[in-house]
Amino acid sequence: MNWIVRAAAIIALLHITPAVVLVKRPEAVQALLPGADAYFAREVHLSDVDAHRLHEVVDWSPEDGVLAFYTGKAGSTIVGALEFVRVDTPHGPIEVAVGFSPDGRIRGVIVTKATVEMKPWVLEAVAGGLTDRYRDLKPGDTPAGAAALAGRTGNLAVYIAGEVDKGVARALAAYGTFYNHVRT
Amino acid sequence: MLYDLRRADARIKWLVTCLLATLGLSYIFGALMVSLYAGFTPARVAATYAGPEMSMPMPPESTVVVNRPMTMADFAQPEVHTVDTNLLIQDTHVHVPMYGVIAAALGVVVLGLSLRRRWALGLITLLFAAPWLDFGGMWLTKFLSPRLAILTLVGGWAMGAGYLIVAAVAVYQMWWSPKGVAS
Repeated sequence: MNWIVRAAAIIALLHITPAVVLVKRPEAVQALLPGADAYFAREVHLSDVDAHRLHEVVDWSPEDGVLAFYTGKAGSTIVGALEFVRVDTPHGPIEVAVGFSPDGRIRGVIVTKATVEMKPWVLEAVAGGLTDRYRDLKPGDTPAGAAALAGRTGNLAVYIAGEVDKGVARALAAYGTFYNHVRT
Repeated sequence: MLYDLRRADARIKWLVTCLLATLGLSYIFGALMVSLYAGFTPARVAATYAGPEMSMPMPPESTVVVNRPMTMADFAQPEVHTVDTNLLIQDTHVHVPMYGVIAAALGVVVLGLSLRRRWALGLITLLFAAPWLDFGGMWLTKFLSPRLAILTLVGGWAMGAGYLIVAAVAVYQMWWSPKGVAS
């Protein structure tokens, strides 16, 4: 019987639970691009060389080789830009929205999607101040949300913070390298 | 054969019944999850697994940018749930062992049923072939043709059918057939 119990435990541990929306995208857009009344998508279709360059930096390639930035404007004034970055974890995907101010620093980070299993970990990490740790980071900086939470929250919240760190690092690298540095 | 669920101790019958009930519950929610994330039509399954990768153009020689206006409604549009290659590798890795264990558990129940040898062999084959078809269909849909999404649907229905046949025959033989009731 022992192997049956072990097999059941392994299955329970490995099975990916359904995705849940923690914050709807429009709400994340309004929070990260406050005051914007017009929005523009800037889709950067990466060449092989640039995709490789990005992969070297953050060990990640965007889906279909396309980076999507969303710019918000209030009248003729640019409010900022944001990205939605997906991070695949062994427990399923999470999605992180990373908003930038016009000066290129992070205005805010919102975890928009997770799975049923990871939701409480995300909520604990956010309640522990995870997303505040990313504010004002700029391209070239290293997100360290997990390190900041270590010892102050549960291990699973620290684990998920490490995954959010990856998403923020990818957003920083993509924004710093490709947002304003490719001709349209 | 010594192992005969019709004549088994009531505790074993109860264990098998509880196992079948639990698997049945998980199958119901599995079906609900499929309806939420992939659907029950070939077109929806193809959209989930073939996704944009089937029509993805070659990367441009140099990086290009496309700008377009967005409305808030564009952000609110429901996304088609897609499974890319990485996620499909992960899904296969975690689901196929689980399906194997479930097929084995149901197969052990089949061994205890009073069935002709060929029927038992057929049922056991069905229990293991269904998940192969299910996941084989996903991979073939992604890399060969979206039309092969039908294999995933056939695999899914075959899994459901295999479970229902085993559960119905087992419950009948354990609790209602004359030899079962007598034990």
